[in-house]
Amino acid sequence: MIELNNIAVRRGGFNLMIESLSLEKGEMVAVLGNNGSGKSTFLSMLTGFLKFQGSYRLQGNEFGSIGFREQNRLIGLLPQKTELNMPFDVFYIIQTGRFPLTNGYRYRREDLQATERIIELLDIEHLKDRSYKELSGGEKQRVLLARILNRESPVLLLDEPLNGIDLRHQHETVGLLRRMKKEKAILVVMHDLSLALREFDRFLIFEKGRLIYTSGKEQISRERLVDIFDVEVDLLEKDGKLYVHTRGKT
Amino acid sequence: MLKKPLVILTSLTGLLVIAAIALMNGAVEIDLMNPTPIQKEILLSVRAPRVLLAGLVGASLAFSGALFQYVMKNPLADSFTTGVSSSSAMGAVLAIMAGVVGLIPFFSLTSGLIGLYAVYRISSVKGSVRPITMLLAGIVIHTFAAAVISLMKFLSDDSVSSIIFWLMGGFQAASLTNTLIMAITLLFSILVLYREFLSLDIISFDDTTAVSSGVDVNKLRRKVFFIAALLTAISVGYAGIIGFVGLIIPHLARMLRLIKASDLIPVSLLFGAAFMISSDLVARTALSDGRELSVGIITSFVGGLFFLYLLIKRKRELDYFD
Repeated sequence: MIELNNIAVRRGGFNLMIESLSLEKGEMVAVLGNNGSGKSTFLSMLTGFLKFQGSYRLQGNEFGSIGFREQNRLIGLLPQKTELNMPFDVFYIIQTGRFPLTNGYRYRREDLQATERIIELLDIEHLKDRSYKELSGGEKQRVLLARILNRESPVLLLDEPLNGIDLRHQHETVGLLRRMKKEKAILVVMHDLSLALREFDRFLIFEKGRLIYTSGKEQISRERLVDIFDVEVDLLEKDGKLYVHTRGKT
Repeated sequence: MLKKPLVILTSLTGLLVIAAIALMNGAVEIDLMNPTPIQKEILLSVRAPRVLLAGLVGASLAFSGALFQYVMKNPLADSFTTGVSSSSAMGAVLAIMAGVVGLIPFFSLTSGLIGLYAVYRISSVKGSVRPITMLLAGIVIHTFAAAVISLMKFLSDDSVSSIIFWLMGGFQAASLTNTLIMAITLLFSILVLYREFLSLDIISFDDTTAVSSGVDVNKLRRKVFFIAALLTAISVGYAGIIGFVGLIIPHLARMLRLIKASDLIPVSLLFGAAFMISSDLVARTALSDGRELSVGIITSFVGGLFFLYLLIKRKRELDYFD
Protein backbone atom coordinates (compact mmCIF):
# COMPACT_ATOMS: atom_id res chain seq x y z
CA MET A 1 0.00 0.00 0.00
CA ILE A 2 2.68 2.51 1.08
CA GLU A 3 6.33 2.16 0.12
CA LEU A 4 9.00 4.61 1.18
CA ASN A 5 12.64 4.58 0.12
CA ASN A 6 15.39 6.97 1.16
CA ILE A 7 12.96 9.64 2.22
CA ALA A 8 14.40 12.92 3.50
CA VAL A 9 12.19 15.77 4.71
CA ARG A 10 13.36 19.14 5.94
CA ARG A 11 11.03 21.25 8.06
CA GLY A 12 12.72 24.35 9.40
CA GLY A 13 15.78 23.07 11.26
CA PHE A 14 14.28 19.60 11.69
CA ASN A 15 15.21 16.67 9.46
CA LEU A 16 13.26 13.45 9.05
CA MET A 17 14.98 10.43 7.48
CA ILE A 18 13.38 7.14 6.54
CA GLU A 19 15.57 4.61 4.75
CA SER A 20 12.96 2.08 3.85
CA LEU A 21 9.44 1.31 4.97
CA SER A 22 6.64 -0.74 3.52
CA LEU A 23 3.10 -0.77 4.95
CA GLU A 24 0.34 -3.11 3.88
CA LYS A 25 -3.39 -3.13 4.47
CA GLY A 26 -4.61 -5.19 7.36
CA GLU A 27 -2.13 -3.58 9.73
CA MET A 28 -2.87 -1.47 12.75
CA VAL A 29 0.29 0.56 13.11
CA ALA A 30 1.12 2.57 16.22
CA VAL A 31 3.42 5.53 15.55
CA LEU A 32 5.41 6.15 18.71
CA GLY A 33 8.18 8.41 19.95
CA ASN A 34 8.79 11.34 22.27
CA ASN A 35 7.70 14.91 21.46
CA GLY A 36 9.62 16.35 18.55
CA SER A 37 10.81 12.94 17.35
CA GLY A 38 9.16 13.35 13.93
CA LYS A 39 5.77 11.61 14.21
CA SER A 40 3.63 14.50 13.02
CA THR A 41 6.16 15.45 10.35
CA PHE A 42 5.90 11.86 9.13
CA LEU A 43 2.10 12.12 8.83
CA SER A 44 2.36 15.52 7.11
CA MET A 45 4.83 14.06 4.64
CA LEU A 46 2.53 11.10 3.88
CA THR A 47 -0.41 13.47 3.35
CA GLY A 48 1.61 15.48 0.85
CA PHE A 49 2.01 18.68 2.88
CA LEU A 50 5.81 18.65 2.85
CA LYS A 51 8.35 18.48 0.07
CA PHE A 52 10.47 15.35 0.27
CA GLN A 53 13.39 13.66 -1.44
CA GLY A 54 13.31 9.98 -2.24
CA SER A 55 10.59 7.65 -3.41
CA TYR A 56 7.06 7.52 -1.97
CA ARG A 57 4.72 5.07 -3.66
CA LEU A 58 1.03 4.83 -2.80
CA GLN A 59 -0.87 1.82 -4.15
CA GLY A 60 1.98 1.27 -6.60
CA ASN A 61 1.99 4.83 -7.99
CA GLU A 62 4.58 7.54 -7.41
CA PHE A 63 2.87 9.95 -4.98
CA GLY A 64 3.64 13.04 -7.04
CA SER A 65 1.93 11.57 -10.08
CA ILE A 66 -1.37 11.16 -8.20
CA GLY A 67 -3.69 14.17 -8.60
CA PHE A 68 -4.50 16.34 -5.58
CA ARG A 69 -8.11 15.19 -5.40
CA GLU A 70 -7.16 11.52 -5.74
CA GLN A 71 -4.51 11.86 -3.00
CA ASN A 72 -7.22 13.02 -0.63
CA ARG A 73 -9.51 10.21 -1.71
CA LEU A 74 -6.81 7.67 -0.81
CA ILE A 75 -5.68 9.27 2.44
CA GLY A 76 -7.76 10.33 5.41
CA LEU A 77 -5.84 12.53 7.84
CA LEU A 78 -7.08 13.44 11.31
CA PRO A 79 -4.75 16.24 12.42
CA GLN A 80 -3.83 16.68 16.06
CA LYS A 81 -5.87 19.86 16.25
CA THR A 82 -8.82 21.01 14.17
CA GLU A 83 -10.29 24.49 14.27
CA LEU A 84 -13.68 25.50 13.00
CA ASN A 85 -15.29 28.87 13.29
CA MET A 86 -18.68 28.30 11.67
CA PRO A 87 -21.56 26.78 13.66
CA PHE A 88 -22.28 23.88 11.29
CA ASP A 89 -24.32 21.01 12.68
CA VAL A 90 -22.58 17.73 13.45
CA PHE A 91 -24.24 15.80 10.62
CA TYR A 92 -22.93 18.24 8.04
CA ILE A 93 -19.42 18.25 9.51
CA ILE A 94 -19.29 14.48 9.16
CA GLN A 95 -20.71 14.70 5.66
CA THR A 96 -17.87 17.03 4.57
CA GLY A 97 -15.45 14.15 5.16
CA ARG A 98 -16.71 12.76 1.84
CA PHE A 99 -15.95 15.92 -0.15
CA PRO A 100 -13.06 14.34 -2.10
CA LEU A 101 -15.44 11.62 -3.30
CA THR A 102 -17.87 14.15 -4.84
CA ASN A 103 -17.74 16.13 -8.06
CA GLY A 104 -16.88 19.19 -5.94
CA TYR A 105 -20.24 20.92 -5.93
CA ARG A 106 -22.85 18.43 -4.84
CA TYR A 107 -23.08 15.59 -2.32
CA ARG A 108 -24.75 12.45 -3.63
CA ARG A 109 -27.50 10.45 -1.99
CA GLU A 110 -24.94 7.78 -1.10
CA ASP A 111 -22.87 10.39 0.75
CA LEU A 112 -25.83 11.11 3.00
CA GLN A 113 -26.49 7.40 3.54
CA ALA A 114 -22.84 6.71 4.37
CA THR A 115 -22.93 9.62 6.82
CA GLU A 116 -25.96 8.12 8.57
CA ARG A 117 -24.16 4.76 8.82
CA ILE A 118 -20.94 6.12 10.27
CA ILE A 119 -22.89 8.19 12.82
CA GLU A 120 -24.61 5.03 13.98
CA LEU A 121 -21.32 3.12 14.02
CA LEU A 122 -19.65 5.72 16.24
CA ASP A 123 -22.62 5.94 18.58
CA ILE A 124 -23.11 9.69 18.13
CA GLU A 125 -26.70 9.80 16.85
CA HIS A 126 -27.66 11.97 19.80
CA LEU A 127 -25.21 14.64 18.63
CA LYS A 128 -26.05 14.82 14.95
CA ASP A 129 -28.34 17.88 15.03
CA ARG A 130 -26.26 19.81 17.54
CA SER A 131 -23.96 22.64 16.61
CA TYR A 132 -20.37 21.41 16.56
CA LYS A 133 -19.16 24.44 18.48
CA GLU A 134 -21.30 23.54 21.51
CA LEU A 135 -19.82 20.05 21.97
CA SER A 136 -17.33 19.01 24.64
CA GLY A 137 -13.74 18.26 23.64
CA GLY A 138 -14.22 14.50 23.62
CA GLU A 139 -17.48 14.72 21.66
CA LYS A 140 -15.79 16.96 19.08
CA GLN A 141 -13.01 14.44 18.72
CA ARG A 142 -15.48 11.61 18.09
CA VAL A 143 -17.26 13.73 15.49
CA LEU A 144 -13.96 14.48 13.73
CA LEU A 145 -13.05 10.81 13.81
CA ALA A 146 -16.43 9.96 12.25
CA ARG A 147 -15.80 12.64 9.64
CA ILE A 148 -12.52 11.12 8.56
CA LEU A 149 -13.75 7.50 8.69
CA ASN A 150 -16.66 8.61 6.50
CA ARG A 151 -14.21 9.07 3.62
CA GLU A 152 -13.66 5.30 3.47
CA SER A 153 -10.08 5.93 2.37
CA PRO A 154 -7.69 2.97 2.12
CA VAL A 155 -5.10 4.86 4.20
CA LEU A 156 -5.98 6.37 7.58
CA LEU A 157 -3.56 8.69 9.35
CA LEU A 158 -4.74 9.56 12.84
CA ASP A 159 -2.76 11.96 15.01
CA GLU A 160 -3.68 11.24 18.65
CA PRO A 161 -7.30 10.37 17.82
CA LEU A 162 -8.22 9.28 21.34
CA ASN A 163 -7.39 12.64 22.94
CA GLY A 164 -10.13 13.70 25.31
CA ILE A 165 -12.34 10.69 24.59
CA ASP A 166 -13.72 8.85 27.64
CA LEU A 167 -12.44 5.35 28.39
CA ARG A 168 -15.45 3.46 27.15
CA HIS A 169 -15.44 5.23 23.79
CA GLN A 170 -11.65 4.92 23.51
CA HIS A 171 -12.11 1.21 23.83
CA GLU A 172 -14.93 1.13 21.29
CA THR A 173 -13.02 3.32 18.86
CA VAL A 174 -10.01 1.02 18.93
CA GLY A 175 -12.32 -1.97 18.44
CA LEU A 176 -13.93 -0.21 15.47
CA LEU A 177 -10.53 0.50 13.89
CA ARG A 178 -9.57 -3.15 14.36
CA ARG A 179 -12.72 -4.23 12.53
CA MET A 180 -11.95 -1.82 9.69
CA LYS A 181 -8.30 -2.75 9.30
CA LYS A 182 -8.79 -5.56 6.80
CA GLU A 183 -9.17 -3.15 3.90
CA LYS A 184 -6.99 -0.38 5.24
CA ALA A 185 -3.56 0.68 6.37
CA ILE A 186 -4.17 2.46 9.67
CA LEU A 187 -1.45 4.58 11.26
CA VAL A 188 -2.12 6.05 14.68
CA VAL A 189 0.15 8.47 16.49
CA MET A 190 -0.17 7.85 20.21
CA HIS A 191 1.57 8.10 23.56
CA ASP A 192 -0.17 5.31 25.45
CA LEU A 193 2.42 2.51 25.21
CA SER A 194 0.22 0.06 27.02
CA LEU A 195 -2.69 0.55 24.63
CA ALA A 196 -0.31 0.41 21.67
CA LEU A 197 1.26 -2.90 22.72
CA ARG A 198 -2.07 -4.44 23.62
CA GLU A 199 -4.09 -3.53 20.53
CA PHE A 200 -1.73 -2.74 17.66
CA ASP A 201 0.08 -5.09 15.28
CA ARG A 202 3.11 -3.10 14.39
CA PHE A 203 5.12 -0.23 15.78
CA LEU A 204 6.94 2.63 14.12
CA ILE A 205 9.16 4.32 16.64
CA PHE A 206 10.79 7.65 15.89
CA GLU A 207 13.77 9.12 17.67
CA LYS A 208 15.28 12.49 16.76
CA GLY A 209 13.94 12.44 13.22
CA ARG A 210 14.91 8.83 12.51
CA LEU A 211 12.69 5.81 12.16
CA ILE A 212 14.45 3.36 14.46
CA TYR A 213 11.91 0.56 14.85
CA THR A 214 9.44 -0.90 12.36
CA SER A 215 8.57 -4.41 13.60
CA GLY A 216 5.85 -6.13 15.57
CA LYS A 217 5.99 -6.70 19.31
CA GLU A 218 8.51 -9.59 19.06
CA GLN A 219 11.42 -7.18 19.12
CA ILE A 220 10.09 -5.03 21.95
CA SER A 221 12.01 -5.38 25.18
CA ARG A 222 11.99 -3.52 28.46
CA GLU A 223 15.53 -2.24 27.90
CA ARG A 224 14.63 -0.92 24.51
CA LEU A 225 11.60 0.97 25.78
CA VAL A 226 13.62 2.48 28.63
CA ASP A 227 16.27 3.54 26.17
CA ILE A 228 13.88 5.13 23.65
CA PHE A 229 11.35 6.79 25.93
CA ASP A 230 13.71 7.71 28.73
CA VAL A 231 11.39 6.43 31.46
CA GLU A 232 11.58 3.44 33.77
CA VAL A 233 9.03 0.80 32.74
CA ASP A 234 7.89 -2.68 33.61
CA LEU A 235 6.81 -4.95 30.80
CA LEU A 236 4.27 -7.58 31.84
CA GLU A 237 2.75 -10.36 29.82
CA LYS A 238 -0.71 -11.75 30.51
CA ASP A 239 -2.86 -13.95 28.28
CA GLY A 240 -0.48 -13.38 25.37
CA LYS A 241 -0.80 -9.61 25.64
CA LEU A 242 1.85 -7.12 26.70
CA TYR A 243 1.23 -4.54 29.39
CA VAL A 244 3.46 -1.61 30.14
CA HIS A 245 3.66 0.00 33.52
CA THR A 246 5.45 3.33 33.62
CA ARG A 247 7.39 4.07 36.80
CA GLY A 248 8.94 7.45 36.10
CA LYS A 249 12.20 8.96 35.05
CA THR A 250 15.27 6.74 34.58
CA MET B 1 -33.79 24.10 11.25
CA LEU B 2 -35.82 26.20 8.86
CA LYS B 3 -36.54 24.87 5.43
CA LYS B 4 -34.54 26.81 2.88
CA PRO B 5 -37.25 27.02 0.15
CA LEU B 6 -39.63 28.55 2.69
CA VAL B 7 -37.08 31.17 3.74
CA ILE B 8 -36.24 31.97 0.13
CA LEU B 9 -39.88 32.26 -0.87
CA THR B 10 -40.71 34.46 2.10
CA SER B 11 -37.74 36.76 1.60
CA LEU B 12 -38.36 36.98 -2.15
CA THR B 13 -41.95 38.05 -1.49
CA GLY B 14 -40.73 40.50 1.15
CA LEU B 15 -38.17 41.91 -1.27
CA LEU B 16 -40.80 42.47 -3.97
CA VAL B 17 -43.16 44.20 -1.53
CA ILE B 18 -40.37 46.43 -0.23
CA ALA B 19 -39.28 47.26 -3.79
CA ALA B 20 -42.84 48.22 -4.72
CA ILE B 21 -43.16 50.48 -1.67
CA ALA B 22 -39.78 52.04 -2.51
CA LEU B 23 -40.87 52.68 -6.10
CA MET B 24 -44.07 54.37 -4.97
CA ASN B 25 -42.65 56.63 -2.30
CA GLY B 26 -40.20 59.52 -2.42
CA ALA B 27 -40.09 63.22 -3.17
CA VAL B 28 -42.91 62.53 -5.64
CA GLU B 29 -45.47 59.85 -4.90
CA ILE B 30 -46.07 57.52 -7.80
CA ASP B 31 -49.16 55.51 -8.55
CA LEU B 32 -47.65 52.27 -9.87
CA MET B 33 -50.89 50.96 -11.31
CA ASN B 34 -51.97 54.11 -13.05
CA PRO B 35 -49.10 56.60 -13.43
CA THR B 36 -49.42 60.00 -15.08
CA PRO B 37 -46.90 60.70 -17.91
CA ILE B 38 -44.69 62.71 -15.51
CA GLN B 39 -44.83 59.97 -12.87
CA LYS B 40 -43.92 57.43 -15.54
CA GLU B 41 -40.92 59.53 -16.57
CA ILE B 42 -39.72 59.86 -12.98
CA LEU B 43 -40.29 56.18 -12.34
CA LEU B 44 -38.27 55.00 -15.34
CA SER B 45 -35.41 57.48 -15.36
CA VAL B 46 -34.91 58.13 -11.64
CA ARG B 47 -36.81 55.94 -9.22
CA ALA B 48 -36.47 52.51 -10.80
CA PRO B 49 -32.68 52.71 -11.46
CA ARG B 50 -32.19 53.94 -7.91
CA VAL B 51 -34.21 51.16 -6.31
CA LEU B 52 -32.54 48.59 -8.56
CA LEU B 53 -29.05 49.90 -7.81
CA ALA B 54 -29.78 49.92 -4.07
CA GLY B 55 -30.97 46.31 -4.26
CA LEU B 56 -27.97 45.19 -6.30
CA VAL B 57 -25.47 46.98 -4.06
CA GLY B 58 -27.15 45.52 -0.96
CA ALA B 59 -26.97 42.02 -2.42
CA SER B 60 -23.35 42.52 -3.52
CA LEU B 61 -22.19 43.82 -0.13
CA ALA B 62 -23.98 41.00 1.70
CA PHE B 63 -22.40 38.49 -0.69
CA SER B 64 -18.91 39.92 -0.26
CA GLY B 65 -19.36 40.00 3.54
CA ALA B 66 -20.35 36.33 3.58
CA LEU B 67 -17.35 35.50 1.40
CA PHE B 68 -14.92 37.36 3.67
CA GLN B 69 -16.37 35.55 6.69
CA TYR B 70 -15.88 32.08 5.21
CA VAL B 71 -12.43 32.65 3.81
CA MET B 72 -11.05 34.61 6.77
CA LYS B 73 -12.69 32.13 9.19
CA ASN B 74 -13.85 35.18 11.02
CA PRO B 75 -17.42 36.20 11.88
CA LEU B 76 -16.61 39.91 12.03
CA ALA B 77 -15.17 40.26 8.54
CA ASP B 78 -16.90 42.26 5.83
CA SER B 79 -15.87 44.79 3.23
CA PHE B 80 -16.12 47.60 5.77
CA THR B 81 -14.35 46.05 8.77
CA THR B 82 -11.52 44.80 6.54
CA GLY B 83 -10.98 48.33 5.23
CA VAL B 84 -11.60 47.20 1.63
CA SER B 85 -14.52 49.64 1.15
CA SER B 86 -12.44 52.61 2.28
CA SER B 87 -9.44 51.72 0.17
CA SER B 88 -11.75 51.18 -2.83
CA ALA B 89 -13.29 54.61 -2.24
CA MET B 90 -9.81 56.11 -2.08
CA GLY B 91 -9.06 54.55 -5.47
CA ALA B 92 -12.29 55.94 -6.93
CA VAL B 93 -11.51 59.43 -5.64
CA LEU B 94 -7.97 59.23 -7.02
CA ALA B 95 -9.39 58.28 -10.42
CA ILE B 96 -11.64 61.34 -10.35
CA MET B 97 -8.69 63.55 -9.32
CA ALA B 98 -6.60 62.13 -12.17
CA GLY B 99 -9.44 62.99 -14.54
CA VAL B 100 -10.11 59.40 -15.60
CA VAL B 101 -13.70 58.94 -14.47
CA GLY B 102 -14.14 55.98 -16.84
CA LEU B 103 -11.44 54.10 -14.93
CA ILE B 104 -13.17 54.37 -11.55
CA PRO B 105 -13.93 50.64 -11.34
CA PHE B 106 -10.33 49.74 -12.18
CA PHE B 107 -8.81 52.22 -9.72
CA SER B 108 -11.18 51.27 -6.97
CA LEU B 109 -10.61 47.52 -7.45
CA THR B 110 -6.81 47.87 -7.49
CA SER B 111 -6.82 50.08 -4.44
CA GLY B 112 -9.28 47.76 -2.66
CA LEU B 113 -7.12 44.72 -3.36
CA ILE B 114 -4.04 46.50 -1.99
CA GLY B 115 -5.95 47.38 1.20
CA LEU B 116 -7.20 43.80 1.51
CA TYR B 117 -3.72 42.38 1.01
CA ALA B 118 -2.33 44.66 3.72
CA VAL B 119 -5.03 43.75 6.25
CA TYR B 120 -4.75 40.04 5.45
CA ARG B 121 -0.98 39.99 5.79
CA ILE B 122 -1.10 41.87 9.08
CA SER B 123 -3.80 39.78 10.72
CA SER B 124 -3.49 36.23 9.38
CA VAL B 125 -1.76 33.36 11.07
CA LYS B 126 -1.67 30.18 8.97
CA GLY B 127 -4.70 31.31 6.99
CA SER B 128 -6.89 32.16 9.97
CA VAL B 129 -7.54 35.84 10.46
CA ARG B 130 -7.58 36.97 14.06
CA PRO B 131 -10.71 39.09 14.61
CA ILE B 132 -9.20 41.73 16.86
CA THR B 133 -6.04 42.22 14.80
CA MET B 134 -8.18 42.39 11.65
CA LEU B 135 -10.41 45.06 13.15
CA LEU B 136 -7.39 47.11 14.19
CA ALA B 137 -5.75 46.78 10.77
CA GLY B 138 -9.10 47.63 9.15
CA ILE B 139 -9.40 50.77 11.28
CA VAL B 140 -5.89 51.83 10.28
CA ILE B 141 -6.66 51.34 6.58
CA HIS B 142 -10.00 53.12 6.94
CA THR B 143 -8.46 56.08 8.77
CA PHE B 144 -5.69 56.38 6.21
CA ALA B 145 -8.06 56.16 3.24
CA ALA B 146 -10.50 58.65 4.80
CA ALA B 147 -7.59 61.06 5.34
CA VAL B 148 -6.53 60.74 1.70
CA ILE B 149 -10.13 61.31 0.54
CA SER B 150 -10.45 64.39 2.78
CA LEU B 151 -7.15 65.72 1.49
CA MET B 152 -8.30 65.27 -2.10
CA LYS B 153 -11.49 67.12 -1.28
CA PHE B 154 -9.48 69.89 0.32
CA LEU B 155 -7.13 70.22 -2.65
CA SER B 156 -9.86 70.28 -5.23
CA ASP B 157 -13.22 71.88 -4.65
CA ASP B 158 -15.17 70.77 -7.66
CA SER B 159 -13.81 67.48 -8.98
CA VAL B 160 -14.68 65.38 -5.93
CA SER B 161 -18.29 66.39 -5.81
CA SER B 162 -19.13 65.45 -2.28
CA ILE B 163 -16.95 63.93 0.35
CA ILE B 164 -20.06 62.87 2.23
CA PHE B 165 -21.04 60.78 -0.78
CA TRP B 166 -17.84 58.75 -0.59
CA LEU B 167 -17.66 58.42 3.15
CA MET B 168 -21.32 57.79 3.93
CA GLY B 169 -22.61 56.41 0.63
CA GLY B 170 -25.76 57.03 -1.34
CA PHE B 171 -27.63 56.18 -4.53
CA GLN B 172 -28.07 59.69 -5.97
CA ALA B 173 -25.79 58.79 -8.87
CA ALA B 174 -27.94 55.84 -9.98
CA SER B 175 -28.31 55.51 -13.74
CA LEU B 176 -29.26 52.78 -16.11
CA THR B 177 -25.60 52.25 -17.05
CA ASN B 178 -24.22 51.78 -13.55
CA THR B 179 -27.20 49.65 -12.56
CA LEU B 180 -26.45 47.42 -15.51
CA ILE B 181 -22.73 47.18 -14.70
CA MET B 182 -23.51 46.37 -11.06
CA ALA B 183 -25.96 43.66 -12.22
CA ILE B 184 -23.36 42.13 -14.54
CA THR B 185 -20.73 42.18 -11.78
CA LEU B 186 -23.06 40.42 -9.36
CA LEU B 187 -24.13 37.84 -11.92
CA PHE B 188 -20.52 37.19 -12.91
CA SER B 189 -19.54 36.72 -9.24
CA ILE B 190 -22.35 34.24 -8.65
CA LEU B 191 -21.43 32.28 -11.77
CA VAL B 192 -17.75 32.13 -10.81
CA LEU B 193 -18.46 30.93 -7.28
CA TYR B 194 -21.63 28.87 -7.17
CA ARG B 195 -19.73 25.65 -7.82
CA GLU B 196 -17.40 26.47 -4.92
CA PHE B 197 -20.10 26.62 -2.25
CA LEU B 198 -19.12 23.24 -0.76
CA SER B 199 -15.47 24.30 -0.74
CA LEU B 200 -16.41 27.54 1.04
CA ASP B 201 -17.88 25.47 3.87
CA ILE B 202 -14.71 23.40 4.12
CA ILE B 203 -12.39 26.41 3.99
CA SER B 204 -13.91 27.47 7.33
CA PHE B 205 -11.85 24.68 8.88
CA ASP B 206 -8.18 25.32 9.61
CA ASP B 207 -5.96 25.08 6.54
CA THR B 208 -4.55 21.62 7.37
CA THR B 209 -8.00 20.11 7.63
CA ALA B 210 -9.29 21.96 4.57
CA VAL B 211 -6.37 20.98 2.32
CA SER B 212 -6.45 17.34 3.45
CA SER B 213 -10.19 17.38 2.69
CA GLY B 214 -9.47 18.06 -0.96
CA VAL B 215 -9.82 21.86 -1.12
CA ASP B 216 -7.00 23.77 -2.81
CA VAL B 217 -7.08 26.46 -0.16
CA ASN B 218 -4.64 28.95 -1.65
CA LYS B 219 -6.28 28.91 -5.06
CA LEU B 220 -9.77 29.22 -3.62
CA ARG B 221 -8.73 32.00 -1.25
CA ARG B 222 -7.26 34.07 -4.10
CA LYS B 223 -10.36 33.57 -6.20
CA VAL B 224 -12.77 34.45 -3.39
CA PHE B 225 -10.74 37.47 -2.27
CA PHE B 226 -10.76 38.77 -5.83
CA ILE B 227 -14.52 38.36 -6.22
CA ALA B 228 -15.25 39.84 -2.78
CA ALA B 229 -13.02 42.83 -3.56
CA LEU B 230 -14.62 43.20 -7.01
CA LEU B 231 -18.14 43.27 -5.57
CA THR B 232 -17.00 45.84 -3.01
CA ALA B 233 -15.13 47.99 -5.53
CA ILE B 234 -18.03 48.27 -7.98
CA SER B 235 -20.49 48.91 -5.14
CA VAL B 236 -18.27 51.63 -3.70
CA GLY B 237 -17.60 53.11 -7.14
CA TYR B 238 -21.33 53.71 -7.67
CA ALA B 239 -22.62 54.18 -4.15
CA GLY B 240 -19.70 55.17 -1.91
CA ILE B 241 -18.86 53.46 1.37
CA ILE B 242 -21.88 51.84 2.96
CA GLY B 243 -20.89 50.18 6.19
CA PHE B 244 -21.92 47.05 8.05
CA VAL B 245 -24.38 45.55 5.53
CA GLY B 246 -22.01 42.69 4.76
CA LEU B 247 -21.63 42.07 8.48
CA ILE B 248 -25.27 42.16 9.55
CA ILE B 249 -26.92 40.23 6.75
CA PRO B 250 -24.97 36.94 6.92
CA HIS B 251 -25.39 37.03 10.71
CA LEU B 252 -29.15 37.28 10.32
CA ALA B 253 -29.03 34.27 8.01
CA ARG B 254 -26.98 32.33 10.56
CA MET B 255 -29.49 33.22 13.27
CA LEU B 256 -32.04 31.40 11.10
CA ARG B 257 -29.64 28.42 11.20
CA LEU B 258 -28.64 28.88 7.56
CA ILE B 259 -24.94 28.21 7.75
CA LYS B 260 -23.84 26.24 4.69
CA ALA B 261 -22.78 28.55 1.86
CA SER B 262 -25.43 27.03 -0.41
CA ASP B 263 -28.11 28.09 2.12
CA LEU B 264 -26.58 31.27 3.48
CA ILE B 265 -25.48 33.00 0.28
CA PRO B 266 -28.80 32.94 -1.67
CA VAL B 267 -30.68 34.14 1.41
CA SER B 268 -28.05 36.82 2.10
CA LEU B 269 -28.43 38.15 -1.44
CA LEU B 270 -32.19 38.59 -0.92
CA PHE B 271 -31.89 39.97 2.62
CA GLY B 272 -29.11 42.35 1.52
CA ALA B 273 -31.20 43.71 -1.34
CA ALA B 274 -34.28 44.15 0.85
CA PHE B 275 -32.29 45.79 3.65
CA MET B 276 -30.59 48.26 1.32
CA ILE B 277 -33.76 49.23 -0.54
CA SER B 278 -35.47 49.89 2.80
CA SER B 279 -32.51 51.87 4.13
CA ASP B 280 -32.47 53.99 0.98
CA LEU B 281 -36.21 54.53 1.26
CA VAL B 282 -35.77 55.77 4.82
CA ALA B 283 -32.86 57.98 3.72
CA ARG B 284 -34.97 59.51 0.95
CA THR B 285 -38.13 60.09 2.95
CA ALA B 286 -37.09 60.64 6.59
CA LEU B 287 -36.66 64.40 6.33
CA SER B 288 -39.88 66.26 5.66
CA ASP B 289 -38.23 69.21 3.88
CA GLY B 290 -37.27 67.14 0.83
CA ARG B 291 -33.58 66.81 1.69
CA GLU B 292 -32.00 63.34 1.69
CA LEU B 293 -29.96 61.62 4.34
CA SER B 294 -26.93 59.54 3.31
CA VAL B 295 -27.92 55.90 3.27
CA GLY B 296 -24.70 55.06 5.11
CA ILE B 297 -26.04 56.98 8.11
CA ILE B 298 -28.95 54.55 8.29
CA THR B 299 -26.90 51.37 7.76
CA SER B 300 -24.13 52.48 10.11
CA PHE B 301 -26.69 53.36 12.76
CA VAL B 302 -28.39 49.96 12.54
CA GLY B 303 -25.10 48.18 11.89
CA GLY B 304 -23.30 49.92 14.72
CA LEU B 305 -25.93 48.79 17.21
CA PHE B 306 -25.83 45.27 15.80
CA PHE B 307 -22.04 45.21 15.98
CA LEU B 308 -22.24 46.28 19.60
CA TYR B 309 -24.70 43.46 20.25
CA LEU B 310 -22.32 40.98 18.61
CA LEU B 311 -19.40 42.19 20.68
CA ILE B 312 -21.33 41.83 23.93
CA LYS B 313 -23.19 38.63 23.10
CA ARG B 314 -20.29 36.86 21.45
CA LYS B 315 -17.48 38.19 23.58
CA ARG B 316 -16.46 34.77 24.75
CA GLU B 317 -16.22 33.40 21.24
CA LEU B 318 -14.16 36.35 20.10
CA ASP B 319 -11.69 35.84 22.90
CA TYR B 320 -11.57 32.17 22.11
CA PHE B 321 -10.85 32.64 18.44
CA ASP B 322 -8.28 35.35 18.88
